[in-house]
Amino acid sequence: MSQPVIGYAGMTHLGLCSAIAAAAKGFDVECFDADGERVGAIAAGRYPVVEPDLAELAAQHRDKLHFTAKPGDLARCDVVYVAPDVPTDDCGGSDLSGLEALFDTVSGHMSPDAVLVILSQVPPGFTRPRVRPDRMLYYQVETLIFGRGMERALEPERFIIGCADPASALPDAYATFLARFGCPVLPMRFESAELAKISINLCLVGSISVANTLAEICEGVGADWSEIVPALRLDRRIGEYAYLSPGLGIAGGNLERDLATIVRFGEELGADAGVVSAQLRNSRYRRDWVLRTLASEVFAQRPDAVLGILGLAYKQDTASVKNSPSLALVAALGPRELHAYDPAVPADSVSGVVPAKTPLDACRGADAVCIMTPWREFAELDPKALARAMAGRVLIDPYGVLDPAACAAAELEHFRLGAPTTAALAATRREDAGT
Amino acid sequence: MLEHENAEPRSPERVVVIGAGGFVGGAVALRLAASDIPVVKLTRAEVDLLAEGAADTLAEALKPGDAVVVVSALAPCKTATQLVENVRMIETVAAALAQVEPSHVVYISSDAVYSDDANPVNEESPAAPSSLHGAMHLAREVALAASLKVPLAILRPSLLHGAADPHNGYGPNRYLRLAAGGETITLFGEGEEKRDHVYIEDVAELVHLTLAHRSRGVLNIATGISHSFRDAAEIAVAATGGGAKIQGTPRQNPITHRHFDVSACLKAFPRFRYTPLETGIARTVESRKGES
Repeated sequence: MSQPVIGYAGMTHLGLCSAIAAAAKGFDVECFDADGERVGAIAAGRYPVVEPDLAELAAQHRDKLHFTAKPGDLARCDVVYVAPDVPTDDCGGSDLSGLEALFDTVSGHMSPDAVLVILSQVPPGFTRPRVRPDRMLYYQVETLIFGRGMERALEPERFIIGCADPASALPDAYATFLARFGCPVLPMRFESAELAKISINLCLVGSISVANTLAEICEGVGADWSEIVPALRLDRRIGEYAYLSPGLGIAGGNLERDLATIVRFGEELGADAGVVSAQLRNSRYRRDWVLRTLASEVFAQRPDAVLGILGLAYKQDTASVKNSPSLALVAALGPRELHAYDPAVPADSVSGVVPAKTPLDACRGADAVCIMTPWREFAELDPKALARAMAGRVLIDPYGVLDPAACAAAELEHFRLGAPTTAALAATRREDAGT
Repeated sequence: MLEHENAEPRSPERVVVIGAGGFVGGAVALRLAASDIPVVKLTRAEVDLLAEGAADTLAEALKPGDAVVVVSALAPCKTATQLVENVRMIETVAAALAQVEPSHVVYISSDAVYSDDANPVNEESPAAPSSLHGAMHLAREVALAASLKVPLAILRPSLLHGAADPHNGYGPNRYLRLAAGGETITLFGEGEEKRDHVYIEDVAELVHLTLAHRSRGVLNIATGISHSFRDAAEIAVAATGGGAKIQGTPRQNPITHRHFDVSACLKAFPRFRYTPLETGIARTVESRKGES
């Protein structure tokens, strides 16, 4: 068939990255959002999200991208994706009302011959009730990773396609579009595809939970998790790309949503989802690692300690602060002098902190510094310059952004997730001395 | 986790301490008095919570709007009879508080409400007591929560130590008495079990903060640092001059530990600091010197 026109409805993170990737693959793309202001800003090159290469790719393929706030413009599309970001609440519940409204809008304006694809993540059981005899409906699993949005949209590992009947061939327009990406296409039942996305995330959470649990044990027994990880990656059953970096719980909201979904299904179905509840508990517990470290290493001596906070985003290369451990820390610290810097999140948008213009400004005069987001910019900090700027010596660096040896040379007390605590190191030294 | 009705601390107009004659109640009353907060100290002499008509007697001692700290208990609770009596005591308290509505209630419970293997314990750990003592506190917590319409704070302390401790339970207080008398401290096994020992004045301060913030919810009272019983014994011996001996015994029971995740306390009261075990024991030694 001739080259299909692709539509995307919902110009938030998922829809925007996906639309630009489709244009980069050579397709004409209709980009719809009901918010005219948003559409105007994007059309003018002002993007609501931070993603590496997004602005450059959008500029490069601008002639193939048509931004509109008129749903009727979707009528020329052969395939229309409904792709708004689905907000989650504090308990990991999804608010699907925006998706449902957009789905209805798109259904009312698209061509009857076009293929309708739900791209936003939905819980198992969402898609099938929306099948109509006169509608070609599919659910496609999105695998967006914040901070790697364009890379993931351009080079997917595979397409997982939920279908009413996986034995039937995909419509030509849809198959032609997917084929351009050159990756495996896996059709399956709607329910399987909906659960496949959650399954991927639960496998990741399993690895993260193992890393977080063992990192804490490392801290206590004098082992260093960063020494163990390379050994695990060489095990074929674990693998090179396994999620083995310890973190401050599971941030970002999406993984927590999937855990909450499985706990809910476990309750409804009478299945044992206890292991997932334990992962959620461990996540909440590890989130407070910095707070506990500050309490024992800083506040015990200096209750009024001044702190420098480097990083507010929930992870690097994004301006998202959803479930950010940094913001949770700021909220938990109560009224005290906090100086904060983030390359993408304006610090003046966070109450309770004094915005700093540079990382070193945030550290000036601080009794302790916490590197709460592993931005590359922070890895370039010179520990000696940091030590000179600070009033104290405690550097809490959960992700190990800075080199431990360089921090030791700068006489900083460097606390990392998975690294032995001072007490554990002292115990191993005592044993060395005794042998 | 506690939620504060008063974001900024504000002293209650008057506090009634039910069980002010005990170790915790006495310390709480002293702490409140130190902040010039009017305190009504009720002991068994004023109100016997098991006596006939006790609810009316207690109600007469209350004024509407009082903050009430409920500490009184027959502890440790080791028999079914003691369990029933303790629950009857809380029935009396609930009946009195139904007659005269307080502004805030603080119930002093125990970490015995948690299951023995809940490590690290935090406020979200399931309450699954294995002892009558824990079952008693849990029953009283639930009974109070069911009967009150005003904010209720439930504080669950770990093991307590301090000069006025009337009990001679296994732990720092007994070790100090033995060490001060030059007697040998005998440990269960080698004293490997780790527990979180809290200094009594920290409990009193946390009750004071909870009252000032008119907090509701659950908070554990634990330092976040667990010591082995042997460590605690060695600290006690050192604090009393270092002469006493510490002796292990053949182990009879499996080793169990208890650790706390104290993040909720750090968030509820960011400026509060617990007294380290060494400091608390040293203060007890000093205060006993003052008494003798």
